[in-house]
Parts: sequence; structure tokens; C-alpha cells
Amino acid sequence: MKIKSFRYGIHPEERKDISKSMAIEALAPGSLLKVPLNQHIGRPAKAVVAPGDAVKEGQLIAEADGFVSANIHSPVSGTVIKRETLRNYLGTKTECIFIENDFKYVKDYLPPAEKERSALIKRAREAGIVGMGGAGFPLDVKLSPKGEIRTLLINGSECEPYITADYRLMAERAEKIVRGVEYLKIAAGAENAVIGVEANKADAYAELMKYVSGDITVEMLKTKYPQGGEKQLIYALTKKKVPAGKLPADIGYLVSNVATAYAMAEAVEEGKPLIERIVTVSGLAVKKPANYSVRIGTSFRELKEASEAEDDFVKAIAGGPMMGVALHSVDFPVTKTSGALLLLTEEEIRSIEPTPCLNCGRCANVCPMSLLPMKTDALILADKIDECRAYHPELCIECGCCAYVCPAKRPLVQSQRLAKKLIRERGK
Amino acid sequence: MQGNTSKKLLVTSSPHVGSPLTTKRIMLHVIIALSFPLTAGVVLYGLYSLLVVALATGAAVFGEWLYNKIRRKPDTVSDLSAVVTGMILGLNMPPTVAFYVPVVGGIIATMFVKMLFGGLGKNFANPAATARVFLLLAWGTQMMNFVNPVDYGAFTAENFFMGFTADSAYVTSATPLAAIKSSALTGAPGTDLISLFLGTIGGTIGETCKIAIILSAVYLIIFRIIDWKIPAGYFLSVALCSLVFYKEGWNYILPSLLSGGVMFAGVFMLTDYTTSPVTRAGVWIFAVGAGILTVLIRRYGGMNEGVSFAILLMNLLTPLIDKATKPRPFGYTKPKKQKEGAHDGENK
Repeated sequence: MKIKSFRYGIHPEERKDISKSMAIEALAPGSLLKVPLNQHIGRPAKAVVAPGDAVKEGQLIAEADGFVSANIHSPVSGTVIKRETLRNYLGTKTECIFIENDFKYVKDYLPPAEKERSALIKRAREAGIVGMGGAGFPLDVKLSPKGEIRTLLINGSECEPYITADYRLMAERAEKIVRGVEYLKIAAGAENAVIGVEANKADAYAELMKYVSGDITVEMLKTKYPQGGEKQLIYALTKKKVPAGKLPADIGYLVSNVATAYAMAEAVEEGKPLIERIVTVSGLAVKKPANYSVRIGTSFRELKEASEAEDDFVKAIAGGPMMGVALHSVDFPVTKTSGALLLLTEEEIRSIEPTPCLNCGRCANVCPMSLLPMKTDALILADKIDECRAYHPELCIECGCCAYVCPAKRPLVQSQRLAKKLIRERGK
Repeated sequence: MQGNTSKKLLVTSSPHVGSPLTTKRIMLHVIIALSFPLTAGVVLYGLYSLLVVALATGAAVFGEWLYNKIRRKPDTVSDLSAVVTGMILGLNMPPTVAFYVPVVGGIIATMFVKMLFGGLGKNFANPAATARVFLLLAWGTQMMNFVNPVDYGAFTAENFFMGFTADSAYVTSATPLAAIKSSALTGAPGTDLISLFLGTIGGTIGETCKIAIILSAVYLIIFRIIDWKIPAGYFLSVALCSLVFYKEGWNYILPSLLSGGVMFAGVFMLTDYTTSPVTRAGVWIFAVGAGILTVLIRRYGGMNEGVSFAILLMNLLTPLIDKATKPRPFGYTKPKKQKEGAHDGENK
């Protein structure tokens, strides 16, 4: 068996052992859930319930507003208390629907769907499924691209350190994932599907191997970050490069991930909308690390308390340590794209005191996009935006490899983001 | 649990984790690696050589400290880069120089070559190599006064501390480089490869013992402090050029590699981050170019040794090399030329 990979990248300390052996455990929902209406890329959903309304588990509470948008469903049965606009952890504002849980869990799911292309795309939209790997792009939009999709690629690499949510899902529920992949394959009109799993998840790989057949295959990927980056994954599995500024669909590929495939299987077979996801709770501050099955809208605080975190954490992160978002409080709700809550202690986090660049070239050597991050950093801090364009910050995928390896602890990927923003603003 | 709400959390943009390697750790690794040739130098040439290196190091650190003090800048000595510069400079001197030579050299290296251009990471030329060239011009005789190693067979205390006393029993020796140069057209360098390898010849403190330098190279490559491509490209290029530019060149490959500062420079000086290219292709061009220059200067130049000059010349070319070898981003193809002056591809 040949282990596949992309070029360059890094080997960050994995720390997956903390939560790797914890089986998926359902976290009992609390009495109040706050469901945000923009958990996806695109326009926020429009609320269709009013305060005082009784809702059932799985009932539509906000509907997609426009083509690139997604439906939102009630994670539990109960009563809508209010609608309120809250600040989310990205610093912008989001309307949330507050639902009081009646603990009866009266379901209102959809009927099972036909396993035929247009019905499956329709189901992805009805069930509010979005890419669960982090970006949250509405699945139905992705499934209906302009060009032809030849191959569906499923990301099971989970290359971010700490996170084990996808791993547990693959190790425990491989059969259903493979069925979900089959539905996605039909919905995308693809000829075949390939699931890529990193070598550090050998048992998940073996488990998937048991159920795949025919035009669905599993490939082992080298354990390396960012193996799950869309362009990197495509290159690793097919040796094709997505041209700059183009989408995978332009060269006949569609990339989704295992959690999305699993959600698709649930939506197709049980009519269950996306109201629940697996969230890893990890970090050295956590006493009882876990992989919880959590209802969307549950507060991160409940996760923190369930895993008996010590109060010595200095950073709380929604998502992975390489690309996740630092929270200023754990009182934010879990969304469709939250793969993890990490409570990190002083010893785990990166120093944020930059020292002068040594010109050592480590950032350039690890950049999976072959950029020169140190040049962008120096130029953008000197406000030389036009010179900066020559180093193509717009192609940066923001994986953070450069900042990870920098011995001077320079905020290299942050400079790339700044460069992107300034070029966008002044480029017009 | 209410107390928790007021808990201040650190909020930064990702990534939130980083490698444990810091600038200081890199410098510590280099200092450890430099201690191998230093030890060899002290064994070969006596304790005075330790004093030479110590003075150069002290002066380099002092130069950086003083500059920061005068300019009222935050102190940067603790990153240990000045220690590395000073040690490299000291190891580049003969074991017989007067005490003021390493002192002046150290101050020139950090204060003038490094700090005046903006400090760590900003200097365009290798501080140790530049300071060495300065010293060569200022005290040429002293800087090229090479002596035989301590004769432990006739061991005396004075022998071991030679250099402390003005008229101790130095035995000035012709270096193998002189032999290589004068024999370039005869095809027989007449050098003893084993003593070249062990370092039992006249030379600078750190350059002669090749075993120690090879150990350092292995250490630095294992800990991924230096890019193996630089020494590899440099040595290959020196070997090839020796083959081409000398009569019966195959006789000159090993003598060229093992004499003078080739090995030391390939491991410690060309690999200086700040003054070497950052691109994958650029690193090869840089290393190979330095090798060509080294051999050309040795063979056709006025001096026996050309390593320092080769380093400086390639340092000057580094920004250009970086620019010329800018890698093509993954998946990127050059947009077709539009009308002149028009920005293309950016206006999405």
C-alpha cells in the first residue's frame, strides 16, 4: 500500500492521545439552547418561528435565505423563548434563537429520501447540511457545480492536532459514513469516491476498508499537516493541482469530509436534519477529555464543565489549534462547524512575542503553497502593498505552518491575512 | 462558577501552537556545535587559542551591548547570536594573534557589520567573515602567521601556554594552501591528507581539525539547524572546480576540500541564515557559486585562501538570488500578459 501525500507542510505535536481513546458519548442537552442563524458561509438563515412557538426536535426554525445559505432546525423539542442578536466569537453579530428544552425530545424529522441525484441534493438543502470540516459551505450548493464532477474526495485526514472527532466517527460508525459517501457520490454525479485517512488513524482506515466496495475506495495518507487542506488533499490523492483562483469543481473534483458524509446518511435514511455533531474536548487543562455528540446551540461552557476542566487554561479554542478561533469566553454556542473545544494551558500555546526575522527560510520550506511568508511579513509591515502582490498573499490558505515553525515567533500567517485584506481594500 | 466569567482568556489569531524552537535555542545549538572545533583547536594549538576565541566572543557581545546602550535600544544580547558571531570569528584566527586583534574584530563584527545595519537578520554580509577580512587588511602578517601544533612530545608548560609569552617556541609553518597554489601547474600538491584531516598542520584555530567540523555538521544537520544543501552544494562545487582548474585535478580534490576554511565555512559561515538565500533553488545557486569563487580565488587570485571573499561576494548576491528564484506558488500559472501597466489577476 502506498501512502499518499502533498509536498512540504509540518509535523506539529499531535496530542491526539489525550482524547483518542474516548468513545463518542452523547452529551445531555441543557435547559436552554442558543441556535445561531449564520453557522455557514453565505447569507444568514431567516427565522420562521416566533417567541412562544412550540417546536419539535428537527423542526425547521430558520430557512435558507437565498441560494448560498442553509436551513436551521431546532436541536430539541420545547419552546422558543426569544430571538436576540448576540456577538459571536468572530466578533460580528448573529441572530440567535433561544429554545427552552422540554426534555421530551419529540421528533419532527423528514421522511427518508429517494436515493436519486436531485432528491439527494434537495435533501442536503432541506436538512441544512453544510461542510462540517470547518468552512461550513452549504452542501447542496457544492453538489450542484457548473462543471462535471468526476471524483468525490472525502477528507478523513483530520490533520489538526488534538481533534479526534472525525477519528472516533470513522472508528465507530464507518458503515454509515460509507453509506453517506455513496449518497454524496450519487448527489454529485461522480463516477467514484475516494476517502483519504491519515496513517495515524490506522484502525479507522481498517474499519472503513471493511465497508467500502466498488467505486468507493480508501487511501492512506501520510500524517502531515495540512493534509486535509482542500488543495493538498486533492494533490495527495490525485496528483492534480487546483489552478490558482479556480475551484476543485473546475478540474472535476468535489471535496467533502467524513462528518458531512455521516450527516448526509442520517438525513437521507432517518430524515434527521443537522442538529448534532461530534465535538472533541481536549487540551492539558481538561481532566476528562471526551468526544461528545453535542446538540447545536449547546454552550461551550457545558462542554467545559462536563469534562471537568481545570481553570488553569489561558486559551479556549473553537476548532483546532492551527486554524481554530480563540474564544474570549466559553459562553458561545456550538455550531455546525465546531469540531473541538480546546482548553490550552500556558505550556501548550505559542509565544506571541515576536523577535526579529532571522531569514532562516523555515517558513518558505514548509509552506504547502510555496509562498515566501517572510517576504510578505516584511513588506506588509513596511506598508509596501504593491510590492507585496508579487508574493501572492491571496493564494495563502492560512494553514499556519509558517507561523508554527518560525523560531522568531513572527506572526507570519497573520501578516498574510493582513496583506490579503489591504490588497482587497486598496486594490479596487 | 460565576468567578469564571471574569476569567481573562488570551485571544489571538491562529495558529495557537508553535514549535519549541526559538532563536535562542538555535544559537545554543550552534554554540554546542562550535565547541567541537574549539576543543580541537585548544588541543592542537594550546590554551592561548581559547583566550583568542574568548576575547573575540566577549568583544562581539560587548559591541552589540554597547550599540544598544548608545542607541537606547532594548538589549538583544540574550538571543546569543553575538556569541555565535564572536566564536566563529575567533575560530577564524591563527592561534598566535595579539590580544587586541580578536577584540577589535569582535567589535567590528557586531557593532559595525551587524548592528549598524539593523541588527539580527538585517545585515547584508556575514559579520564574522567581514570582520575577518577587515583584520586581514589591518594586521595581515598576524592574521596569516600560521604555526605548527603544540609538540606534546617535548611537552613543557610554556609549550602549552604558547602565545602568552612573546618569544615562545613558535614554529611557523607553510600552510598546505601555499603548497596547493604553487603546485597548480605540476599536478602534485604534495599535501599529507591524513594530517589535513586530523588538523595537525598550521592554520586557524577552528579550521584545521576536519573531524571536529564533520561532527559539528552531523550535529547541526540532525537537529535541523542548518540546511544540508549548503555544505553539500559548496563541497561538491569546490571538488568539481578543483578537478577542472588544476593540472591533474583529481589530485587536488581532497586537498582543496580539506585545506583552509572550506569545511568550516561550508558548515558554519555559508549557512548563516541572514546572509544566505531562502528559496530552495537559491540555496543551491548560492552554495555552488561560493565554491566556484573559492577555487577561482585560490587558483588565480593573489592570495592563497579565498573562502572569506567568496562568502562575502555571495552574501552580496543573496537578495538578487532570492528574487530571481522566487518559487512558483502551488497551482499558480503566470497570467497572460495584458496591456502594459495593467494589474491582472488580482481583481476578483
